[in-house]
Amino acid sequence: MGQHDRFDAIVAGAGHNGLTAACYLAKAGLKVLVVEKNDWIGGAAVSRSLHEGWTYSNCSYVCSLLRREIVRDLELPKYGLQVIPYEGGASFDSDGDYFAYMSDHDALRREISRHSARDADAYDRFSQTVIRQCRFIRPFLLRNAPDPTSLKPRDIGELLFLIKQAHGLGKKELGETLRFWSMSIGDFLDEHFENDLIKAHIAGAGIIGTGLGVYSPGTAYVLLHHYMGDVDGAIGAWGFARGGMGAISNALGACFEEAGGTIVTGSGVDRFLVSNGRVTGVALANGDEYHAPIVASNMDVKRTFLQHTGEQYLPGDFVKAVKRFKIRGSSGKLNIALDALPEFPAAPKGAPFLRGDLHCAESLNELERAYDDWKEGRWSQNPYFDMLIPSQIDPTMAPPGKHMMTVFVQYAPYDLEVGGVRAGTNWNGQTRGAFANCVFDKLEQACPDIRSKTVHAEVRTPWDIEQEVGLTEGNIFQGELTFDQLLFNRPVPGYAQYDTPINGMYIVGSSAHPGGGVMAAPGANAAREILRNIGRGGNMTGYAA
Amino acid sequence: MTTPNYDAIVIGAGHNGLTAAATLARKGKSVCVIEKNATAGGMARNTTFANGIQAPEIAHLLYNLHPKVKKELGLGSVRAPLEVRDLPAVSLSEDGNHAVIRNGKAELADGRPHPETAPFGELMRRLTLFAGLLGQLSTKSPPSLEDGLASLDKLTELAGLAKLGLDLKRMGKKDMREFLRVLLSNAYDLILDDLEDGPLAGALAADAVRGAFAGPRSPGTVFSLMYRLGQGGGAQLPLGGMGAVAAAFETAARAAGAEIRTGTGVARVLTENDRAAGVVLEDGTEISARAVLSNTGPMPAMILAGAEHYDVEAVRRMRNQRCKGTAAKVNLVLNSAPKFKGLSPELTAGRLLIASSATYVERAFNPAKYGEMPENPVIEAVIPSLSEPGLAKDAQHVLSAVVSSVPYALEGGWDEAARESLAAVTIATLEKYAPGIGALVSDCQVLSPACIEARTGAPGGHWHHAEMGIDQILTVRPANGMAHYRFGPEGYYLCGAGAHPGGDVTGLAGRNSALQLLKDGVI
Amino acid sequence: MTKHVPIGLIETPFQPRLEALSTAKSWTNWAGYVSPAMLDTVEFEYFAIRNQCTLFDISPMHKYRITGPDALKVVNRLVTRDAAKLRDGRVGYVLWCDEEGMVIDDGTLFRFSETDFRLCCQEPMYTWLLDTAWGFNAEITDESQDIAALSLQGPTSFSLLQDAGLQVVAEMKPFDWREIEPDLWVSRTGFTGDLGYELWVPNGKALELWDRLWAAGGHWGLKAIGFEALNICRIEAGFIAAGFDFQPVHTAMRLGRGRSPLELGFGKMVDFTKGHFNGRRALLKQQEAGLRYHLRKIDIGGFKPADGALIYHKKKKEVGHVTSGVWSPTTKRNIALAEFKAPYGESITDDLWAEVYVNEEGQWDRRLVPVAIEEKPFFINSRARATPPRPF
Repeated sequence: MGQHDRFDAIVAGAGHNGLTAACYLAKAGLKVLVVEKNDWIGGAAVSRSLHEGWTYSNCSYVCSLLRREIVRDLELPKYGLQVIPYEGGASFDSDGDYFAYMSDHDALRREISRHSARDADAYDRFSQTVIRQCRFIRPFLLRNAPDPTSLKPRDIGELLFLIKQAHGLGKKELGETLRFWSMSIGDFLDEHFENDLIKAHIAGAGIIGTGLGVYSPGTAYVLLHHYMGDVDGAIGAWGFARGGMGAISNALGACFEEAGGTIVTGSGVDRFLVSNGRVTGVALANGDEYHAPIVASNMDVKRTFLQHTGEQYLPGDFVKAVKRFKIRGSSGKLNIALDALPEFPAAPKGAPFLRGDLHCAESLNELERAYDDWKEGRWSQNPYFDMLIPSQIDPTMAPPGKHMMTVFVQYAPYDLEVGGVRAGTNWNGQTRGAFANCVFDKLEQACPDIRSKTVHAEVRTPWDIEQEVGLTEGNIFQGELTFDQLLFNRPVPGYAQYDTPINGMYIVGSSAHPGGGVMAAPGANAAREILRNIGRGGNMTGYAA
Repeated sequence: MTTPNYDAIVIGAGHNGLTAAATLARKGKSVCVIEKNATAGGMARNTTFANGIQAPEIAHLLYNLHPKVKKELGLGSVRAPLEVRDLPAVSLSEDGNHAVIRNGKAELADGRPHPETAPFGELMRRLTLFAGLLGQLSTKSPPSLEDGLASLDKLTELAGLAKLGLDLKRMGKKDMREFLRVLLSNAYDLILDDLEDGPLAGALAADAVRGAFAGPRSPGTVFSLMYRLGQGGGAQLPLGGMGAVAAAFETAARAAGAEIRTGTGVARVLTENDRAAGVVLEDGTEISARAVLSNTGPMPAMILAGAEHYDVEAVRRMRNQRCKGTAAKVNLVLNSAPKFKGLSPELTAGRLLIASSATYVERAFNPAKYGEMPENPVIEAVIPSLSEPGLAKDAQHVLSAVVSSVPYALEGGWDEAARESLAAVTIATLEKYAPGIGALVSDCQVLSPACIEARTGAPGGHWHHAEMGIDQILTVRPANGMAHYRFGPEGYYLCGAGAHPGGDVTGLAGRNSALQLLKDGVI
Repeated sequence: MTKHVPIGLIETPFQPRLEALSTAKSWTNWAGYVSPAMLDTVEFEYFAIRNQCTLFDISPMHKYRITGPDALKVVNRLVTRDAAKLRDGRVGYVLWCDEEGMVIDDGTLFRFSETDFRLCCQEPMYTWLLDTAWGFNAEITDESQDIAALSLQGPTSFSLLQDAGLQVVAEMKPFDWREIEPDLWVSRTGFTGDLGYELWVPNGKALELWDRLWAAGGHWGLKAIGFEALNICRIEAGFIAAGFDFQPVHTAMRLGRGRSPLELGFGKMVDFTKGHFNGRRALLKQQEAGLRYHLRKIDIGGFKPADGALIYHKKKKEVGHVTSGVWSPTTKRNIALAEFKAPYGESITDDLWAEVYVNEEGQWDRRLVPVAIEEKPFFINSRARATPPRPF
């Protein structure tokens, strides 16, 4: 065993959370190694060139939730990260009309009034409620989830903080908050709006990435999860990372290496090495072993413990809890290289909202039916999609005159049903092609010439995402965002503070609080816990201190 | 000022209205209950067919009657006789391997032990433990949010919460963590984490969503399952039918000194200076009182007093209340006792469930979301005359079926043809388990959720007057800012299932509201 | 064909005239419309209001019609005062609250009859009015896009109307309102505390009205003005403005930012005896528990307008802030509206100081200047109320 394979800490997986944790640890003076199974870093925040001249953000594709405290701490702009907000969005219906979300508030009111005069004021009331809830929740993202069964001063302190925040709301708002957190996005929207197209446009944010329908209670919270970010303080705004989502990972990687960290790519963790209840290092698939008293896994909790840790090192209850942790894949993606910008006949030429997120959902029932398909192991026959053409804003994504389109599609099951058998392996060339065809058919509702302008399309099913990125069942959040899997329940009750039953071993991915969405909060929070546990907490500057 | 006719008037002689009246009368208050129908009892009444045979009109079993109410009202005592019989639950399987749940334990219909006896028992242990904990909150007004969380004068109300917190801690870390994990979760995952997806799982899933506008995959259905398990989860058949339950409540109220007037409903609630002052009946009669309690649904209660007495936000919350009923009632008169594949006569008399798996229950609910008729509905059926032969008439029996996943707002509306088609779906579904049952049907009665609304006034025909979702319980039931039974003008109270703790024949909403009224010093 | 909505600011029917008169090219966004901050200079526009007469385009105001058998019930459910006491052909200043008794907005209520009202206000209110009217036999119509309006204010405004052939307004008392010609409604109202009228026409007749007034305006010194000059006058008159002196509660993102009519000094506008109205129970509770804030008119020492200044008691304890502050060119005083945390501004009114920062060509200076509470509006002139009005 040489000096070169000994580290203070090892991070398994170079996803954005793993890199974030690694950055904080390295900046605190630890000798840190990041190991990554793929030949590139980034996990699901990557920019890949899969067709000559085009760059695909082939997993996550837009940015908003990345905590600004972390961006500042790690000086990510210095390492090339540039986030540019986009200007709106639209939903196209099947009658040649559309609803456009516009960043100009007065124009937005006019646009809503065009569909329903009543809904124009309702939108203001809706966004006020949502922003109020965002303001309530944001402080919790970078804090530990308190363990309600614990009597430790720190847990009690966190609980008191929660109570204090809740108390600050006053009775009426507290009641509204309780309702909001337990409602479905469908019911919440029905309470505010009468127009189906407007409701459908907003509802997408309540289901993206989940195994829930628009009328499933708890989806109003999921909407919040997508609204609680910001671009330069504009709450709820979303933007593109210039050069694709890989820009985030690359900036983190550069920051990490400048802080003295080492990244080894091309071979993933085969197993975590455990001795006497303590983690001692990792053994890679290629046979290499690295050793450290601290090992942090950026893999989801199922993959970490059920595939790469011997069950003999874990309490039975813990294994059971990990097994029942829900990581259901529900979404797929099409990444499309376009010969030219498609036409959107319904919209005014060059409308700014075409540079935002585009959809073709017309009603909440349509979305709910899309969910019913998924429950039965089918992709939605009438799918929801979140489609963007980032090359309109970001010139680095496609050759001049050409464009790149990203289409997030929901719902698509991981265990596709074919002939009465549900299995991920049912995803093959044929089913993948049929799935893509179904999406293209619906895309034509917005841009009828899409097929003729397509030069290359990458089809990604939950199965593919699992195979490539390693996310179990292709779930983009490393675990569903339902209440039984949030806060002190995430990922496992009793182990919600990034720790695990194995000494020195930590969970730093989105399986941990506060969950996924390219927030980097789990990674940063975990690093803070690690440093605190080894008595290095005081050495940090910035938020993690 | 003239002396009011009564201390309190109760609108509606459903079981909660009668409980409220009895509770007030027992404290020496003069109370009058006004019922628009000819008989008291609301959803807990009997109906009589053309041939004279009796059947439970809507509700057919008791699940959750609260012991406190039972004791305080003297239900089942000489004062208000009521006899019940515990029924096993039989979850039917097309292959005849029916699952039987008796006293919280699983077995097979042919007497063999159920392969999942152990995990089922452990699941039930947890759920009934948790249900018991939650049950502590049901006998008091819900915790107040008045002045936020830290106000000292609310300590008495918070004491209940504190006790809950203490009992939670007392359960031990493991159970406490499990409680906090599953509380807001969905029944489907909870059940299938421990059980195979068969009739046993289906029975629990069906119990979790009966009467609710939700499938078992909806988060919040673990709560509704726990609510159903509040008194252990067993179902009881009242001897003499549900009408006997109505009669017992009525007798208890009268015995306590309450007056009950039937046959004429209340047209509106009178107010003076933002205070309830009495009621005007549909025939124009004015009756004055110092307080008025309404056993109607929340929205009808508001309309009776007049929307102008409520803030715009309160009205909006009422309008937004989720109360889409999903349970229909089908009573089938059968020429002889039906035969179910693989069921003994003893079990045929049980609570029969058609819910072959949790997935079946989820699928059954799908059409209801879109206002469509279910193709394969979840059914809870009971044949009371098998337990109480005296109810049969000329060898004829009534199969009383609660058919779930039936939409209130059926596309195309509820006309005669729609009701006939629901009867046909019900019979076809039963036929799979009791071949030949269709040929036995000589008469039938179908009550859609819309009919139930018309008969009882329950909004949307909803069993619980308002959906028991997490967003509509406790401190936000019936609506944010209205959770303490006080309902707009001073002295006006909501005493029905739309108030805390919610539906089922528990009597708690009626009892709690009366106690709150007394505590408020209104009368 | 889909009718795409315009992006950016849109124009009122008067924009062609305003555009032609604008030398300052200083426009602001008023409810999505282009509106002049000033057309020429604030100073001369201000003096035109107080010395001659002025035209201000108030078309961006939201206008709603409440009609039907239950219109009065709906209005009374909405506002805090008793609209039953408002006679036909009269206008009333009104406030309305949410369920917590916090002001949603204020505005003017025009009564045609018991079954027909118009509400004119700053904030969009359509959905709120629909919600208020739910369960009642009344219809809500949004007239905002259909009705154009001009505010003609100043001591010579009556004379101008006379010359324009509208002498019938002579008989109109303050807060009267009537249709003086087909499709032309006039109310003797305004936001300046001076003699003035507001004229209401369908959009199609807007320019005709403008030209008719403009033609008669020469001798009377008619001038078109922008928002800034008007704002000075409204502070002189002691009028509050939504978004400045109080945060309309429906637009308050943060909790506790709403203010009740009692706190804004409009206790007299709240009629607890008329039956239930929105927020009544909460306001009764607040009255019992005590107010949290007091909005007051104040006189500030020195000559530096104190907009936004913090106010201290005994120069130490921060007790409030100025919500609107200007130098008043007519009264030659440094005036403001200010919000105090109770009991300051009510039972404690002495030893109050405003903190003013002065930048004299790059040199910053912090000053504490004395604050005195005023009971009456700063600008009072009997010409404002004389009926028939005086010629100037």
